[in-house]
This record gives sequence, C-alpha cells and structure tokens, in this order.
Amino acid sequence: MARGEPNDGGAERQLTLVEAVREALAEEMERDPTVVVLGEDVGLLGGVFRATEGLSARFGAGRVVDTPMAELGIVGIAVGLAMRGLRPVAEIQFADFLHAAADQLIGEAARIRWRSAGDWTCPLVVRAAYGAGFRGGPYHSQSVEAFYCHVPGLKVVAPSFPADAKGLLTAAIRDPDPVLFLEHKLTYRAVKGPVPAGEHVAQIGRAHVVRSGDALTIVSYGRMLHESLAAAEQLADLGIEAEVLDLRTLLPLDRPAIIESVRRTGRLCVVHEDTLTMGLGAEIVALAAERLAGELRAPPIRVAMPDIAGIPVQDPLEDALIPGRHRIVDAARTLLRGSRPARSAAAYDAAAAEASSVVEVAMPEEHLERALSAVERACREFPVCNAEFTWDGIKAHDAVRIDLDLGPRAPCRGDGTFTVTDFGPGSSALGLPAVRPGQTAALRIGAVRDGAAWLALTVDHRAVDGAVAGRFLRRVKELIEGD
Amino acid sequence: MIDLERAYGLMTLARRLDERMWGLARAGKAHFAVPCAGHEAIGAGYALALGAGHDFVAPHYRDLSAMLALGVSPREVMASFFARPRDPSSRGRQPYAHWGSKRLRILTLGGPQPNHVTHGVGIAWGSRLLGEDSVTWIAFGDGGAQKGEVHEAMNFAAVHRLPCVFCVENNLYAQSVPARLQHAVTSLSQRAAGYGMPGVAVDGMDVEQVHAAAKDAIDRARAGGGPTLIEASCYRFRANTSNDDDSRYRPADEAARWRARDPVRLLAGRLGARRARIQDESAEAVAADAAAWAEAQPWDDPASALEHTYAG
Ligand SMILES: Cc1ncc(C[n+]2csc(CCOP(=O)(O)OP(=O)(O)O)c2C)c(N)n1
Ligand SMILES: [Mg+2]
Repeated sequence: MARGEPNDGGAERQLTLVEAVREALAEEMERDPTVVVLGEDVGLLGGVFRATEGLSARFGAGRVVDTPMAELGIVGIAVGLAMRGLRPVAEIQFADFLHAAADQLIGEAARIRWRSAGDWTCPLVVRAAYGAGFRGGPYHSQSVEAFYCHVPGLKVVAPSFPADAKGLLTAAIRDPDPVLFLEHKLTYRAVKGPVPAGEHVAQIGRAHVVRSGDALTIVSYGRMLHESLAAAEQLADLGIEAEVLDLRTLLPLDRPAIIESVRRTGRLCVVHEDTLTMGLGAEIVALAAERLAGELRAPPIRVAMPDIAGIPVQDPLEDALIPGRHRIVDAARTLLRGSRPARSAAAYDAAAAEASSVVEVAMPEEHLERALSAVERACREFPVCNAEFTWDGIKAHDAVRIDLDLGPRAPCRGDGTFTVTDFGPGSSALGLPAVRPGQTAALRIGAVRDGAAWLALTVDHRAVDGAVAGRFLRRVKELIEGD
Repeated sequence: MIDLERAYGLMTLARRLDERMWGLARAGKAHFAVPCAGHEAIGAGYALALGAGHDFVAPHYRDLSAMLALGVSPREVMASFFARPRDPSSRGRQPYAHWGSKRLRILTLGGPQPNHVTHGVGIAWGSRLLGEDSVTWIAFGDGGAQKGEVHEAMNFAAVHRLPCVFCVENNLYAQSVPARLQHAVTSLSQRAAGYGMPGVAVDGMDVEQVHAAAKDAIDRARAGGGPTLIEASCYRFRANTSNDDDSRYRPADEAARWRARDPVRLLAGRLGARRARIQDESAEAVAADAAAWAEAQPWDDPASALEHTYAG
C-alpha cells in the first residue's frame, strides 16, 4: 500500500536525512560558485548535527564561514549577500534561536521583493534544526513553523524523507525567494531512504501522497509524518486504509492536494508536533471547512502538542507530550466511529485458565495514550506483572514494553513484556485477554460506552496472586482517571 | 578634492525639495515628510567620494543629498514623496525616504531602523566574494547606533576586514531621546576601538571635512584595509518627521545655535554669494517642477498591490 519515494531518475543509494542535506549542499556548492554557507560551527566542526561536514575542507573557509554567535547578524548579513547576487545558505543551529533573527527574516528577507516592487530580491536559504524528542528542553526542541508560515514572501519547507531533503534543499538554493528550511533533528539519522545520485530537484509547494487509502486523510510533515505512517500501518491491520499526505512545503501550502485527498476520504486528521492553537492544523482544517463543508463525514481532528510554554527535559514528560502513533490511531477511530459494522472480537477473546479480575473505568473514546502510560507506570510499580514465569523462579523484565493489540487483524509485534488489547468502538464491552508466553499479565480495554469502559486483567496465577492483580488493576484505574 | 560647486548644487537642491515637502505634508497634500535639513553636508560629502553606480550605499533616511548625487532625480524623489508608481524605490509601497535602487546600487531601506546595516555588511562581503572592488557605505543615526545588530554587523565586518564604511550621523537625538540617555561614551567614534577598526569624528556640517574623511575611509576599504567607523556630528533642523512635535523635547535656542552653522550657508560662504544664488534659483525651479509633476502622476491599479510577494 505504501508508495515508495518518487524516483526522479539516477542511481539510488540509501542515505540518512542528514547525509542527503549534506549532499545537496555539496552538489550545489560545486555547481554554483555563488553558493556560500555561513553559521555557527559550520566549518571545522561540520555543524552540531554534522550537516556541513567536509564542506570547509572541500570548498575552503572563504565559502564555508564560521560566524560569531549572533543570529540576527547571521541572517541580516545573509540577506545582504543574497541582495548582492550570491546564494547564501545560513545555518541556525537550533530553530529555537531563529527568534533572535525574526526581524531580519520577517521584516526584511520576506519583504524585500515586495517593498521594492520587484527591484531587489532576496534568494536566501536559512536552514534550522527543529523538533523535540531528544531531551533538549524548552530551548532546543521547539517547532517554529507556525510563526513563519504567517509570513507572506517567505517559503517554509520541512522534508520528511532523505530524497526530499536533497531535492527540496537544492530547489530552495535555486529559488528566487527566501526559504526557511526546517530539518527535524530526530529524522537526521533515524530516517534513511533512497536518494537519487546526482542532480535531484524537487518542486517546492507540492505535497505528496506517501500512502494511499480511502478511509481518512492524515496530513502531516517531518517526524510526525513517520508517526502517521506507523499509525496507518496499525489502522490497516484493523481494515482501515488511511491516506497519508506529506506536506513537504508548509508555505505556500499545497491546497489542491489537501482538498483532493480529503474530498475523496471525507475525513481529515492533521498531525503536527507544534502546539495546537494557531498551528498549521488550524489553517488546514479551516481550508477543509471552507471548501468541503458538505462533503466531510466527520468533524476534522487535530493531533498536536498541547499548548504548553515549553518542552520539558524530563523523560516521561517529554514522551507523554509528543504526539505519537497511538493518538493518531485514536483520532482515526473517532473519525470513523459508527462508519463500519461492529466487529465481534469474541473468537479472539478466549478466556484463559488464568485468574482474571475486572473493573469499570471512566475514560473517553480517545484514551490510548493515557491508558498506555498508566499501564506502563503500573508495570513499573508492580514488577511481578511485568515478568516471566519460569520453573526456576519469576524473572522480572528489566524494561517495560507494552505490546498493543488493536484487533483480530493486528497481531502483536511479539517483543513486549505486557499486552494491552483494545479493539476500539464496536467491539465487545467485556472480554478477557490471554496471557502471552514470556509475560505474566495482560489487560483488555473494552469498548467505551457512555464515558466508561471495562478493564479486564488476566494474570498467570503461578506468578501473580489475586490480591496483587486486584491492586494492579485498581492502580491502573486510578492512573487513568486521575489528573 | 571635492567639487564644491557640485556639492553646493546637491545640498541646496536637497534643501529646497525638503522645504517644499515639509510644506506640502503640513498642508495635507502628502502623508509623510522626513526632513533632511541639517544632514545635507554628510550626504553630499560621502556620495561625492564614492563611485556612483559602482559602490554600494545603504543610506540613512535623511540622506536626500546623497540620493541626488547618486542619480535619483528630483522628480523621482517627489514621486516617492507622493507615493506614486514612478517612485523608483518602492513604487509608492513605502513611505517617503525609504530609498532604494538596484540600478544605482542603493540598498532598499525598510522601516525598522537600522536593519540595513547588516545588509550593507553582506553586500560588502559579497563584493569581495565576487571579486569586485566596490565599497559599501553604511549610514545610520545615533539612535540606530544603539541597536544590537549594529554591534553584530561592525564586529563581523572588522573580523573579515570587509570593504565597507560605517557612518553614524549623530544629530544628538533619536526622535525625542537625547544623547545622554542613549550612550555613555562622549563620542560614538570611540566604539571603533572595541571592534579593532579606525574611528574618526568629523564635523558633519562641513562638507569638505566629511568628504575628506569619507575618501580616506573608502580608499582604505578598497585597498583591503577593512572598515572604518565615522561619526559625523550634525543637527536636525526640523522635527523627526511631519508627525513629530520637537517643541516638546528640544529647547528653541538649541536649534538657533546650530542654525548659525547651517551646512548649506557654510558652503555658500565659501563659494561666494553670487554663485550660490544662481544655484539656489535653479534648485527652487527644479523642486517646484518636480513637485508639480509628481502630484499630477496617476495612481497605481489597486490590483498591483498583489504583485511581487513572490517571484513570477
Ligand atoms: C526599530 C525601530 N524602532 C523605532 C523606530 C521609530 N523611529 C523612526 S526614526 C526614529 C529615531 C531614530 O533616530 P536616529 O537613528 O538618531 O536617526 P535620526 O532620525 O536622528 O536621523 C525612531 C525611534 C523605527 N523606525 N525602527
Ligand atoms: Mg539622531
């Protein structure tokens, strides 16, 4: 179902995203002597993320310039270079520091063509690493795209795949207007894919369907695009085919591509790591409301970072805040509620010989994220429930890995230490899960009815006695219901 | 040596245009006047030391005399004042005095002051990268000199010994805020030492002094000797703009004292009354023609405002 990346010809190798960025810079510097790279630590160090590694040795310190730590100056001077007819590529180490240069980007670069009625131009590229997920805290994790997508005159590009990173950065360098090029730092090395060798230019302003489907449209970009694809995989296991649209360019937005897809599916979910209010999701949902009001089969949903003032460095806090595949699955299930016949899960829910207990818990239909973190925490507090029975004794697992079972067609990945079953709306309200080999307990979340659901816990009685099981279950309930 | 006759022609023309614009703005015929009176010697002095059309200028908004010297015509000045399509700097998109002309190598000037200082440094660096020996003149006010990015710009230019000249036109005020509340150093040229570049203080009312200092700095920059910081002292004879009321913050006798050193009259004295009068009369006629011509220009089609946000 998932389509491969566009192949624009040329031999393809597998590169990481940061390697693709580096290749685009090197090839453009080779091709065009007016391309210069400037920024903090871009020379000998090769950039803090190594995006400019090797460029200084190859093109010299005259074209790869380590600047003082002065972001406003970096962008302002790059604006001057661009006005002079050069093709500067300025690196801002962390997108968080771009705010210091905002006046030059918003007030100058984006407006120079317009304010001089086309006389002066500013073909500038500002590259910046953005995004959370590596414990960077509130000043090394921000997503800044929404600020700059409100700036006519600027283009904002955010690739998700290595091939696009190369093709779009090449296009950005050749573009006659200023481009803010946002690179999600967690995709730098984690995302690898085929990249055409030699000249590869992608088109700025074009979104791209990376997975086609008919049940709903998930619109995303950057790292969240990959979470969306993972969610789409899980949804496919449930028989739900989600279309995933990779925006690639955030400004100007590819409105026709969004409208075309949502018109077909009738359901829209926008996913971004940036905070919710006034984020890109607002614009995209507004577009759907304006253009497709009568054709939408469910109110659109935005999956985004909550409106908090910073990204915390504390591990579980950051993990809980970043939108992930489970929230996207939840959103998709909500979008599709009532749209397909209830599927009976009885055949799968064979009651095991183990001891089981049940409890009713207040929870909304969108609960996966919260329920999973409750179970994870309870597993840590009750190591015996996150363990394996052997005849030599009970062996607690050293980590907690929840295996999520979303339905008969969604087999567990099999490498978990605890299993949670949740067949979603349309499944039975109560059923007992089976304990899997290598585990001592399993939890099933029944279908939510009137804001409540039955939790059923099955334990391997050889390892976990009834009282402990009861306390574990009560703890899970407490964690889910608490604030 | 500066051509005094030429300098005077530019300065008196700037003064006449300025007076006319002030009156027209006050009469409600145009939106906004930005007086240059008191700054004419600085603009004429530096512009005549540059190679027009070869060197780049990131001007201060009071540099009308420099714009005239570099090739902006009086009619174009007035088209910009009346915000008409023939305004070469912005086609009437920006208020008056936001200069710019790619052809004349005058950088486009925006509203936030003095954001063009870093642009000037980038231009100078670009000229070096392109192997051209042009110098970039970067002018701004004493108020602008207090902004952080001016520090970033001067520091970078000095580190790379870029071919540019920084010129602070110090008229003692940033709108209403006096020098004593802006900086603790007695002369802004002292700051040059902090960047490792020469600093020069000149009398900005004396076109010959400005020209000599400018020529020296431009020659040094062109020869690879790096940037210079010039502080040119002057006085703004009128309010900050036509929207300002300087009687609220400046003592009346202060202006009178500075008027005794009016740069246009100072030069007229050196040139001789008769030669000055001939130029004054012709400047008056040119200014009147320019204003009448520009005011009669048609407006743009409103749809044209949608052009030029992006290429193509
Ligand atoms: C960033 C910014 N802040 C404030 C203003 C409003 N403003 C316009 S002119 C001016 C005074 C500037 O003084 P100075 O730089 O000394 O130049 P002068 O007008 O005295 O020649 C001010 C505050 C502006 N244009 N830009
Ligand atoms: Mg001033």
